[in-house]
Amino acid sequence: MSALELREVVKHYSSGIETVKAVDGISLTVTGGEFVALYGPSGSGKTTLLMLAAGLVTPDSGSVSFDGRVLGELSERDSALYRRRDVGFIFQAFHLMPHTSALDNATIKLTGDGCTLREGRRRALPWLERVGLGARVEHTPEQLSMGERQRIAIARALANEPRLLLADEPTGNLDSKRGREILELMRDICHERGIPGLLVTHDLDATTLVDRVHTLRDGHMADGMDPELAATSS
Amino acid sequence: MKSPLNPPIAGVRLSMLAHLYWIRLRSHVVQELLAGSGIAVGVALVLGVLVANASLTGSAGELVHQLVGSARLQLAARSQDGFEERLLDSSRRLPGVAAAAPVLREDIAVVGPHGRQSVQLLGVTTAVVRLGGFATRELGLGGFRFTGGLILPASVASAVGAELGGRVTVLAFGSAHTTTVAAVVKSPPFGVLASSPVAVTLLSSAQRMSGLPGRLTQVLIEPQQGADSTVAAELRTLAAGRVSVASADQELSLLDEAVKPNDESTSLFAAISVMVGFLLALNAMLLTVPERRRFVADLRLQGYDWRQIIALLTFQAAVLGVVASAVGVVAGDMLSHAFLHRIPAYLTTAFPVGTQQTLHIGTILIAVGCGVLATMLASLSPALDLRPGRPTDAVLRDRSGGGEVLAHRTPLRLALLSTALLVLITAAVLLAPGLTIVGGMALALAALLAIPSLFACVARALRWVGERVPSSSLIVVVSELRAVTTRSVALAGIAALAVYGSVAIGGARADLLRGLDANFAEYLDTAQLWVTTGGNDLTTNAFNAEGATTAIARASGVASVRVYQGGFLDVGPRRMWIIARPPGDASPIPASQLLHGNLEHATRLLHEGGWAAVSQGFAAEHHLALGSSFTLPTPSGDARFGVAAITTNLGWSPGAVIMSSLDYSRLWQTTQPSALEVNLRPGISEAAGRRAVLRAIGRRPGLGIQTFGERRAQYAADSRQGLYALSEIATLLLIAAALAVASALSAAIWQRRARLASLKIHGYDTAQLWRALLLESIIVLGIGCAVGAVAGLYGHALASRWLRLQTGFPAPFQIELGRVVLTLALLAAIALAVIALPGLAAARAPARASLQE
Repeated sequence: MSALELREVVKHYSSGIETVKAVDGISLTVTGGEFVALYGPSGSGKTTLLMLAAGLVTPDSGSVSFDGRVLGELSERDSALYRRRDVGFIFQAFHLMPHTSALDNATIKLTGDGCTLREGRRRALPWLERVGLGARVEHTPEQLSMGERQRIAIARALANEPRLLLADEPTGNLDSKRGREILELMRDICHERGIPGLLVTHDLDATTLVDRVHTLRDGHMADGMDPELAATSS
Repeated sequence: MKSPLNPPIAGVRLSMLAHLYWIRLRSHVVQELLAGSGIAVGVALVLGVLVANASLTGSAGELVHQLVGSARLQLAARSQDGFEERLLDSSRRLPGVAAAAPVLREDIAVVGPHGRQSVQLLGVTTAVVRLGGFATRELGLGGFRFTGGLILPASVASAVGAELGGRVTVLAFGSAHTTTVAAVVKSPPFGVLASSPVAVTLLSSAQRMSGLPGRLTQVLIEPQQGADSTVAAELRTLAAGRVSVASADQELSLLDEAVKPNDESTSLFAAISVMVGFLLALNAMLLTVPERRRFVADLRLQGYDWRQIIALLTFQAAVLGVVASAVGVVAGDMLSHAFLHRIPAYLTTAFPVGTQQTLHIGTILIAVGCGVLATMLASLSPALDLRPGRPTDAVLRDRSGGGEVLAHRTPLRLALLSTALLVLITAAVLLAPGLTIVGGMALALAALLAIPSLFACVARALRWVGERVPSSSLIVVVSELRAVTTRSVALAGIAALAVYGSVAIGGARADLLRGLDANFAEYLDTAQLWVTTGGNDLTTNAFNAEGATTAIARASGVASVRVYQGGFLDVGPRRMWIIARPPGDASPIPASQLLHGNLEHATRLLHEGGWAAVSQGFAAEHHLALGSSFTLPTPSGDARFGVAAITTNLGWSPGAVIMSSLDYSRLWQTTQPSALEVNLRPGISEAAGRRAVLRAIGRRPGLGIQTFGERRAQYAADSRQGLYALSEIATLLLIAAALAVASALSAAIWQRRARLASLKIHGYDTAQLWRALLLESIIVLGIGCAVGAVAGLYGHALASRWLRLQTGFPAPFQIELGRVVLTLALLAAIALAVIALPGLAAARAPARASLQE
């Protein structure tokens, strides 16, 4: 069973004037079938941690590995292949292609892997239906609400049947009912397919739907449970 | 599923690449059209120039090949008088000769109901048909059964109004002959013959009309296989040094030499056209750079690797490049037909250059290749994000819409590079003038490199002014031009290149015209009246004077008549212009054209005989200096001359030789004049003198009388007509570039509507914004024009120097500021007129537009 493993990971950003310790010695393991949440305020290092897990940035020290492969040791091409085939990433800013239909947006990973457009559409359509966009597949992002755009991004992340699910504030633009449905869908997929899932959020409600919650603060994994989180849990 | 029609390229199906491009096309159709237009304009200019160049030599080349057929050698006369026909029989009897065909080629004029046309008369026999040339093989077969009369190409027949079976007059050797039009040949099946300035008749008819019975100017020879060198040696023995032995298609290399300066100068234009097209495409691409960078970054986030991104960018650039280039090819072909198809008149006096446009597949491939390459280069900037470690760059950073901002020190570095390039160009051109054309292209590059630093200076100056002058429009401009962006540089670059090309080439053209005018004025100034066969600029057609000289000398009011002789002589790769001046000419060498030597001394030497003035190119080729000697292959054998003076090429690119007519008569074994120079007694007007000369020579339709002023005006008109293509290309380039700048600026302004609208939230009105947009456009154009004008003036100096030193043309350098200002005004006026409307529309964007997503 595949697993995501971060060991003593450090990632600092230097702007020349000051150094920001985005991630400062974090270790975390998410095993297959687990849906884990990283909770924390803005600037706590949550998104950087996701970027590290996606192989988009490399750690200054420590290691990030998936399924036994150390991501920092992958070539540029293998890193791209890892994102294309293994990872389903739901970005906070969506990163949808403008002027492109919802269906074609959802197929983009599949066609990048050699699928014909027809085959890609055939495989992506059920996912759009599952996130409630079955009737709007030909709409472009410009014609859809922010919540609907979010759902295209989710369908796109799931369409390639990933072996690792990463989500950066996936419910930030959704109403509470729809947000809850989406998180349940992601959790179910992790459970059904036995894949690890990592969710980044500052929404306390979201943390109630995951298997495990970790709190991040100033690039560190906080010791003990966050008071807010504890209150929510209780 | 594998499909040969939909193969994966770097892992992405071809159909997906096409689909992504289709999406892009739908959402950015204006930018794509703009980019495509730029490429198409560049390709059209390149193709137009190349076709015009190729057509000059192409039509004559085809005609020669179609005439000579399988002949590989020829006996060629060294003068218009030709050689005895018996050489034909002798050559036929030589061992190794498979076939030999006689030809008589003479310059004549055909006069029909609608006018007169100068053509080359080809007198042939059925023997030429056996050589199998395309132009002649139909003459003795099938429909034609050619038995007499004149065969006219459709273009000539149309020009003079001749019809099949009708009568036309042939003016040859100073006489008129009436003959029947036996055939009018059209293309197909006769190909280039149908549009060439020739007329075909039977050899015997040609000999009669030319007054050269029993004489030939060519014998085309087809040696048996493997016998070429043996036959050539035998022919040289037979020719005995009085007739030249050459390859059958020697005329092509002679023509190549004659059009070389024209080819090289138009090549410079072609290169500038490519740069303009490239910059316009780059501009259009820059408009979409932020969006395309995000697109590339998004794909990378989704796991597309660099090969797939490159495949995608390349595919999009290739489709745009190919489609735009195809449009450019069609436009270029139309351009070459509409503007660049005129044949320089001066060339047609020496070569049968036709009007047929020659469009080779190679020419198309070069033009399309330039277009696709320019598109590829212009599309490259998003690919820079593929450098390792930058997959998220475009997503995480906010990019402005004005193209990439150049780093602070980049303008200074580029300025230093520009200066270094300038020094290098100057040194290279001073040491090797032959590098001037390459230097001209490098100078255009140096001008482009200088633009960012000028932008930076202007931006600083604007900030300084903006802090002191209370102008809301200026504040907007200062804010927009606060940083040097690649798009601003590219916009100014288009203007700079257009101005550079127009000023440099226009200036050189003006110098050349001034030099030619001065040359021909002095050349003709030896007489008040000129009696010639008419229409022949270089006075190379001899005629039968038949007592005309004596009659004119006796006419009232005539002070003197002198026999001027001259013609063309093939010396190596050059068809030289031979000018044989009568002893009575006070100044046989045009003073303004003398480069080396003393005019009086040289004149004295020429009159003494055995001396000649030679043009610089010929002198350099044969390593001649004043006092040294050289050999000319004359009809009476090789003759040695001393170098009395070295001159310019006197307006004939292959070069000229001036000698005494006494030497000419002796060596060319002829007393026939090419012109009669007539001087009048004091007090006799040119009009009265002309009437007197006309009475003296009687009715001679083959001869014309021109005053000095008329003949000079004819030369001036022909000089300008000969440089017509250069003028046309310069103007077209300027207009195309002005429109290109205008459209690119308009698109950039249109894209800024949201930013302009946001200023309205802060209380700016439409007029303020419109003024700001126009001011900004003027500044961008001004920078480009200033750089272009300075580089253009330097290019003008280099081009004039190249014309003088490398081609030997008379081209005294002189700056015409009025013309430079006119060029700048034309460009600015066209561009601003086009920008005004979209500028106003953008300035009228409502304030709420800035609030829309």
